[in-house]
Amino acid sequence: MNIKTYSALDEQIQMRTLDNGLRVCYLPKPGFGKTFAILATNFGSVDASFTFEGKRYDTPAGVAHFLEHKMFEDEDGNALQKFARTGASPNAFTSHVMTAYHFSCTDRFAENLEILLKFVFTPYFTDENVAKERGIIGQEIGMMDDTPAWRAMVGLYEGMYRNHPVRVSIAGSVDSIARITPETLYTCHRAFYSPNNMALIVCGTADLDEVCRMAAEFSPQTAAVVGERHYGVRREAVNELLVEQRMPVSQPQLLLGFKDEPVQPGESRLRRSLLGQLAARLLCGDTAPLYAALYEKRLIGRDFDVDYTLLPEGACALLGGDSRDPDAVREAVVQQVERLAHEGVDRALFTRMKKALYGLHLRVLDVPEAYARREAAALFAGEHYPDFAVLFDTIGPDDVQAMFARWARRDRLTMSVIRPR
Amino acid sequence: MQQVTRKKLSAGVNLTCVTTPKFKRAVLCVMLLLPLGGPDAALRACLPQLLRRGTAKLPDLRAIGQTLDELYGARIEASVRKEGESLCIGFLADFIDEAYAPGASGLTAGVIRLLADLLFDPYLQDGVFCQDYTAGEREALLDRIAAQKNDPRAWAPKRLIELMCAGEAYGQSVLGTASQAEQITENKLYTAYRRALDEAQIELFYCGTMAPDAVERLFAQTPLTQPRNGALYQPQTQIIAQPAGAPREVVEPEQVTQGKLSLGLRTGGSCLTGGDPVAYWLLTTLYGGSTSAKLFLNVREKKSLCYYASAQFIASKGILMVSSGIENKDFETARDEILRQLDACRAGDITDAEIESARKTLVNGWRAMLDDPLTLERYWLGQAAAGTMVSPEERIAQAAQVDRTRIVSAAQATALDTIYFMKGAAE
Repeated sequence: MNIKTYSALDEQIQMRTLDNGLRVCYLPKPGFGKTFAILATNFGSVDASFTFEGKRYDTPAGVAHFLEHKMFEDEDGNALQKFARTGASPNAFTSHVMTAYHFSCTDRFAENLEILLKFVFTPYFTDENVAKERGIIGQEIGMMDDTPAWRAMVGLYEGMYRNHPVRVSIAGSVDSIARITPETLYTCHRAFYSPNNMALIVCGTADLDEVCRMAAEFSPQTAAVVGERHYGVRREAVNELLVEQRMPVSQPQLLLGFKDEPVQPGESRLRRSLLGQLAARLLCGDTAPLYAALYEKRLIGRDFDVDYTLLPEGACALLGGDSRDPDAVREAVVQQVERLAHEGVDRALFTRMKKALYGLHLRVLDVPEAYARREAAALFAGEHYPDFAVLFDTIGPDDVQAMFARWARRDRLTMSVIRPR
Repeated sequence: MQQVTRKKLSAGVNLTCVTTPKFKRAVLCVMLLLPLGGPDAALRACLPQLLRRGTAKLPDLRAIGQTLDELYGARIEASVRKEGESLCIGFLADFIDEAYAPGASGLTAGVIRLLADLLFDPYLQDGVFCQDYTAGEREALLDRIAAQKNDPRAWAPKRLIELMCAGEAYGQSVLGTASQAEQITENKLYTAYRRALDEAQIELFYCGTMAPDAVERLFAQTPLTQPRNGALYQPQTQIIAQPAGAPREVVEPEQVTQGKLSLGLRTGGSCLTGGDPVAYWLLTTLYGGSTSAKLFLNVREKKSLCYYASAQFIASKGILMVSSGIENKDFETARDEILRQLDACRAGDITDAEIESARKTLVNGWRAMLDDPLTLERYWLGQAAAGTMVSPEERIAQAAQVDRTRIVSAAQATALDTIYFMKGAAE
């Protein structure tokens, strides 16, 4: 067992890798009544094209998400119903980069963990149950299509990337999911739900030895290895500068995306994420000078938010919210990026924003769902989320300025706008 | 582990403290409780955002932003919501506990001072709110009122409540109306502000490591505990046990792809302070509160009619609400299936396994609440607005006593009031 102690954060991580490659991680939370467990696979909506056992697969859009829905069903019933008997709250999500199954409970942890491990590692797909799920997912797609923020996000990725599969909506479309068969699902499960592509993280109160014993018992002994994943040919410039859609909204919603270079070999993913978030906040986070200026001009509202996202072979900063004049916001943001790239960042501003971002990262440690999810993402990159505290010390104003210099090129920015009908 | 204390600091000012060492963050909340609706509604909805713009010492967003960054990224958000028929306006703050950052001692005191300044020492010009800020926040409020319909999933239940409780304060939006908002001026807003400070019941909340008497001392150094002149508002909510007449069905076409179906039912008087709320929570959970509930299993899993179909017990008002997203052509089928599942509960067609599963889900939820300071804030404010003080631990004990008879009685006391269908009419 490997134990990492973060004394400044009063945190500890206990970790072990099983013989089949499954990474198991325990984050103790003394005093918490709830225990949260998440079993995640490094397989998201962007992993639609891949080489496995010497053969190339190009699967229909939405397959990772479809698989997430279908995993709950086993030959002897639905896992949700099994959790119901223990009172646990189970759920799952599919992001661009990960699929994860989780539950939280306040008792009967071992029983719940067994249900989780068994259903995630046991595929059971039939023509009938796949057809049934199309109806439910079709409704989910319809719901997302009516959500302006979601449509703005999909539009943004379409604009930023020409080839990268992130440009396709996570759930796919009614047409693409019609092409998903039990066989597609079995192939993806074999390729990506292989223990060496997965991590089990428990946050709360548990015993690592016991968790590992169960994980070893209920996961496959052998692990398939997925070959290359194909994300298309990368281009530095965005695909389109502007993507516009019309929806019944009361005022325009905008999303700006700066296309950044992917994490480089040997570069810390976590550090890049911190750096990107810091840069985005310095640019127009809710305590930044530009935010105040745009707010005072009534160009943005309190909902305006910034983020930095990492993908396989991709990275981008996102800024957006409601605005009555998206073009004016874009122009102001572009000018600010150019100024920051040219003049650098004010030291006092840099120092206080770094302090604030440290505080925001620290607070995540209190939220088991968020902490475990971030730990899973960090683990897939060979890191641990609480390393952020040390990595913060390595980030200086020059790093941020270099990032702004990349964003400052005009062909790196896409604006996605939802305009009122 | 977790100690809850509640203390009256002065007339109409109460402090609720959850004292626990387990979090790395602390939460502070300052809320003014006032009647929901009425001619001042838009003015009151505008106030927190307006006050968030600047204080006498920190006159604009830049200065406030700088201060929050220096407080290790403390967040202070303006809040406007309702608990029963009380409007709650104020500020919610969360920040890291002093123990976890070098040189962060005095952080709690700093956040309390800032909260008090935002509320009692606003940035003024000529004795009233600044014209510029007022104009900006008036427009922002109008935008927020108009934006309520942007997300159909969130709008459908709001629209249902508006229709169902049209004659009750509860049917009023917390934001007020657009025509009220258009009339906002700096003078009117300042007058409404003074009146709100005089009349509101003030609820203070803290969750963190600091002892309650230390928190109290910090609040006592601010104007928050000073005596006030007005007739103080006593939170109250009218509970309507039964629908006034036959169920109403309202269908409205909107430019959306997916239809949204919402049903509003009266609970026969079960609410936070009356009837049998614990039996009602159990009923709601087994009917539509989890992935093993009747609605999920039948409407979604068996019939594939929807992605979501869930039931919610609005205990602060005594309403049961069902929400679902469906294809337009399935309106009647989904509605009938949702009601059929409730009929099954009324008829006692409930298995022991369903009851035990619901009980465990409910208890699990209440226990998990103790691990989340923001959820605790909502919980205790809800208790304060209802004039009661029942802890989640007490609810857990009560839930153990509920049997089938009480659940079936709760279902039998339930009566359909209004059906709202937002019909997709997108081309």
